[in-house]
Amino acid sequence: MKVTLNWLKKYVDFDWSADELAERLTMLGLEVESITKVGGELEGVVIAQVITRDKHPNADKLSVCKVFDGKTERQIVCGANNFKPGDKVPLILPGYFLPSTGNKPAEQIKVGKIRGAESYGMMCSPNELGVPGDASGLLILPDDAPVGKPFAEYIGKAETDFVYDLEITPNRPDLNSVIGIAREISAVSGNPLKIPVIPQLNVDSKNPIGKYIEVKLEAPDLCPRYVARVVRGVKITQSPDWLRNILEKVGLRPINNVVDVTNFVMLETGQPLHAFDYHLISENQNGLHTIIVRKAVDGELFVTLDEKKHTLSSEMLLIADLEKAIALAGVMGGLNSEIKDTTEDVLIESAYFNPANVRRTSKALGLRTDASYRFERGIDINGCIYASLRCAQLILETAGGKLCEGVVDACATTITQKKITVRTSKVNEILGLQLKPEEIEFYLTRLGLKPVPKAKPVGVEISDAATTFQIPTFRIDLKREIDLIEEVARLYGVDKIPSTPPRGAIGFNNFDSIYNQIDEVRTILTGMGLDEAQGQTLISETAAKLVEQQNYVMVANPLSSDMNTLRPSLLPGLLDSLRHNISHKNYDVGLFEVGKNFRREAGFVKESRRVGIAITGCRIEPFWQGAERDEKYDIFDLKGIIEEFFDNFGIKGVVYNKANQEDSLFFEYAEISLGGKIRLGRIGQAHPKLTRTYDLRDPVYLAELDLDAILLKRNTTRIYKPLPQFPGIRRDVAMIVPESVTHDSILQVIKKAKPKHLEEVQLFDIFRGKNIPPDHKSMAYGFIYRSDERTLTDAEVNQTHNSLVEEIKTKIPATIRDA
Amino acid sequence: MSLITEIEAMRLAAINDFNNAADVSSLEKSKSVWLGANGKITSLMKQLGSLPKEERPSAGKAINAIKNALESVLAEKRAELELKLSLPKNPTDFTLPGRRRRLGKLHPLIRTTDDIVRSFRKIGFAVAEGPEVEDDYHCFDALNTPPDHPARDTQDTFYIAADNTNTSKIATVGNASNPLLLRTHTSPVQVRVMEKQKPPIRIIVPGRVYRRDNADATHNPTFHQVEGLYVDKNVTVGDLKGTVEFVFQELMGPETKIRFRPHYFSYTEPSFEIDFSSPLTRKMGKEWLEIAGCGMVHPQVFENVGYNPEEWTGWAFGFGIERIAMIRYGINDIRLFYENDIRFLRQF
Repeated sequence: MKVTLNWLKKYVDFDWSADELAERLTMLGLEVESITKVGGELEGVVIAQVITRDKHPNADKLSVCKVFDGKTERQIVCGANNFKPGDKVPLILPGYFLPSTGNKPAEQIKVGKIRGAESYGMMCSPNELGVPGDASGLLILPDDAPVGKPFAEYIGKAETDFVYDLEITPNRPDLNSVIGIAREISAVSGNPLKIPVIPQLNVDSKNPIGKYIEVKLEAPDLCPRYVARVVRGVKITQSPDWLRNILEKVGLRPINNVVDVTNFVMLETGQPLHAFDYHLISENQNGLHTIIVRKAVDGELFVTLDEKKHTLSSEMLLIADLEKAIALAGVMGGLNSEIKDTTEDVLIESAYFNPANVRRTSKALGLRTDASYRFERGIDINGCIYASLRCAQLILETAGGKLCEGVVDACATTITQKKITVRTSKVNEILGLQLKPEEIEFYLTRLGLKPVPKAKPVGVEISDAATTFQIPTFRIDLKREIDLIEEVARLYGVDKIPSTPPRGAIGFNNFDSIYNQIDEVRTILTGMGLDEAQGQTLISETAAKLVEQQNYVMVANPLSSDMNTLRPSLLPGLLDSLRHNISHKNYDVGLFEVGKNFRREAGFVKESRRVGIAITGCRIEPFWQGAERDEKYDIFDLKGIIEEFFDNFGIKGVVYNKANQEDSLFFEYAEISLGGKIRLGRIGQAHPKLTRTYDLRDPVYLAELDLDAILLKRNTTRIYKPLPQFPGIRRDVAMIVPESVTHDSILQVIKKAKPKHLEEVQLFDIFRGKNIPPDHKSMAYGFIYRSDERTLTDAEVNQTHNSLVEEIKTKIPATIRDA
Repeated sequence: MSLITEIEAMRLAAINDFNNAADVSSLEKSKSVWLGANGKITSLMKQLGSLPKEERPSAGKAINAIKNALESVLAEKRAELELKLSLPKNPTDFTLPGRRRRLGKLHPLIRTTDDIVRSFRKIGFAVAEGPEVEDDYHCFDALNTPPDHPARDTQDTFYIAADNTNTSKIATVGNASNPLLLRTHTSPVQVRVMEKQKPPIRIIVPGRVYRRDNADATHNPTFHQVEGLYVDKNVTVGDLKGTVEFVFQELMGPETKIRFRPHYFSYTEPSFEIDFSSPLTRKMGKEWLEIAGCGMVHPQVFENVGYNPEEWTGWAFGFGIERIAMIRYGINDIRLFYENDIRFLRQF
């Protein structure tokens, strides 16, 4: 909503500067998006009257004068001769600039001494002001020139004004009008609101409106009120300057006097108005024109006055005559009935349309207008009559003609004013103030609310006092007590409500500890050198299918096919992040993300928390020596991260079962679980076929962990185990086994053999090549035997160890290499 | 030449020999030359028997003294050579870059969230969460948002498809008028927590939210918000102001000033927008910068969750985490948060 400072001043008195007004409006809840200065030529030049003129004591050609500027008397030193006491002249005040003339730049007038006499301003010649006239002396104004009036205004130049662009919140449709905003200023300043009084109009009492028009409301739920007036004998021309200027300032294009008046009154009152060419509305055999407010027929075609053709549905409301539709109710008029240069008689429509219906129609047709904007937020159903009369008044003033006597007011509803009771105690409870009932009444009555008289309370404590207010119809946002409390807060001033230091209850929520645990995950993973990523929740269906064939969740109204599916896994997003990095030449990347994923489960959308990890490129930070510096990550870097994570996070008994075949995401991968039962996630190498499509050059290793399962199985209790008292004995064994034999299968054989005093088994080498048959590998283990009661003897360890080695030899089977 | 003279000559030769050893192994060789089983000093000892009986004790003593002296020279030399071995061969250039053990970085949004959470926890708030796939009721109706409210514009909300073959059909829960959607704000968590817990409530809710905006410098369809909710007896606007001031001063520095402006949100009444002012905003050329929305919980919302608004009052506020992080770190494009470029991530 745009409004100007001077326009507002026509409805309420205030003497705030442009910036002060912005500040006041902002603090009332009307956010000022911009202030633009317009006009303002000859600013600071006022009409002044010379009171005395004396010779300058130190200069023959100068005089020292006393001049009245409308507010105060000033001493001015002047060099001109063509004036006398009593003359009215333009006076520029100190601090303002004389206009630049020719190649002379604008000159600022300052308070100064001229030959020892002080001068507070300067009386001006026509030349100095850039207006026509005798250049040899001061510009002497006619006797009736009003002292104190800005000179620019006096000579008809555009006055200085400020245009405010305000953000109106959707709950306050009453502020989509200059009067509405002025009402707020009136409330906060205490100065009365001056709603224009309609004078006696040029009414044609011989031709009452009943002869010309009748209105039928066929859909009273969508249009409960329709007010019509007819002005006859207008002359369509350009609007007068004042009207054109004001519309242009707030960004409306002037069209002609009648249309401009309807727009002006809409901006002024918030009531959208429409003017029809009366003769383009069909008449019945009696010459009576009928306005029918009806629903459209499905498929009905209608051309709006912007010359666009629309196909309507039966939910849309039309203004029609007996033959045809003439306007899309509340949205836009029809091309077939618009005001033309030849229009002589005008029908003024001032109606109330159902907000939701206007909104739906306007959205469905993609037609947003100043009218639909106001109707869909809700206008004052009680304001139709005034706005219609104000419109008629201004049409008569700008386009001439006569107003048919009377008004057609088709009203299908009883208009009632709500009553809301507000308790002083509740106001103070919410706001943290100690207001008295009179203060609350004081603020609310300033906004146009009226206290309902009541019997004087007897024996009631003052803090329980309650007052009931009648709510004006334009305040549709005021529905219950709390809404009035807000009004009190606004007018009292939120900035004046004292802040109370934080106090009160200790919060509780089950999630609180989970938040900390997620933080622990982050601490561990960043500690291992991984950077944290945040991926998009919405990914493409194709990417989702890398991890979930069926039970992924799609969006019904996606912005694009790149973002039409809720991620069923964090891994596709991490691949995207790798691609971004590699394409920007960041080749060595280790990322993790903690976040939610989404899958369908038994007809519901299941959200669960995951940890995703992706690594590619070089394992170590760049360094300037060492053979290992160019080594790339391999799967065991990632597995080491996972193991270290589980260890530190308190998860024991994790097993890794290799999947039998590749899938679209992984070339090789293993399921991570607790004892093969509780799934914890997956780890593997991304399929090179896939990574190639992501332009990734080095092998990519991915893991995803199910954080919810991990949180459930977490055990963070730590119990101290005494340090070993006795030395351990180590025996090493290297064995040749087929490639298919896994480390875990060897561990299982060892575990089953239950060797006495075996404390630890360490795999310390895997070797393939020289002296090892093809498809075989050598695995070297160290076995540490220790008792916590005594020092073991070599002999007993040898005995245990040898039988363990025999067990491995036969069960695996393995060939033992000689040491 | 007397034995004594010979011994003295040997002593000097041995010391010289030891001192000339360049490393431990040549020192060991010299040791065996002089002190080994067949060494020169040892063989001298063996010659003792050939001396006249009366000379033997003094000569033996002298040989032993020399042997001991040589042993100590040897030990000293060995220590010296071993030390030399353990010293760096080349002088160290301390300006060379070290072998880094890099720590990973937390994402700047998480870092900011953590700081926000820490400030709230200081004053007794607990962290809460709720589903990101929400239903219409919790996202809008329960929050007193009327059906025609602009916030409910389907243009701005992502809806969940009922199935993946016919995605235009919207999934619902319970009844057909309760569609599933991606939550547009964290406020539905207010409702979910109040439905489950009795007052007092003192929670903070960080999380992802979704709006149907195409990505540009200031929009991403996914972004993060933080919601705060406090419900108790006698909670006032003054409490709201006090807490907001505390948290923002913790977050943005002690010079931060806060301004409340009346505003409109359907689920709070009175509602305010919060502006803040600090050296950061002045750096951006603005005295006041809009940062959050807040207000007293609307009695209708209390009624919707079964709280009695006559007994309980409360306030809520919310703000965008990206916006805070962008102001704090001077980041000018929201998309940077979701690209995960390590050159970006490693700056925080």
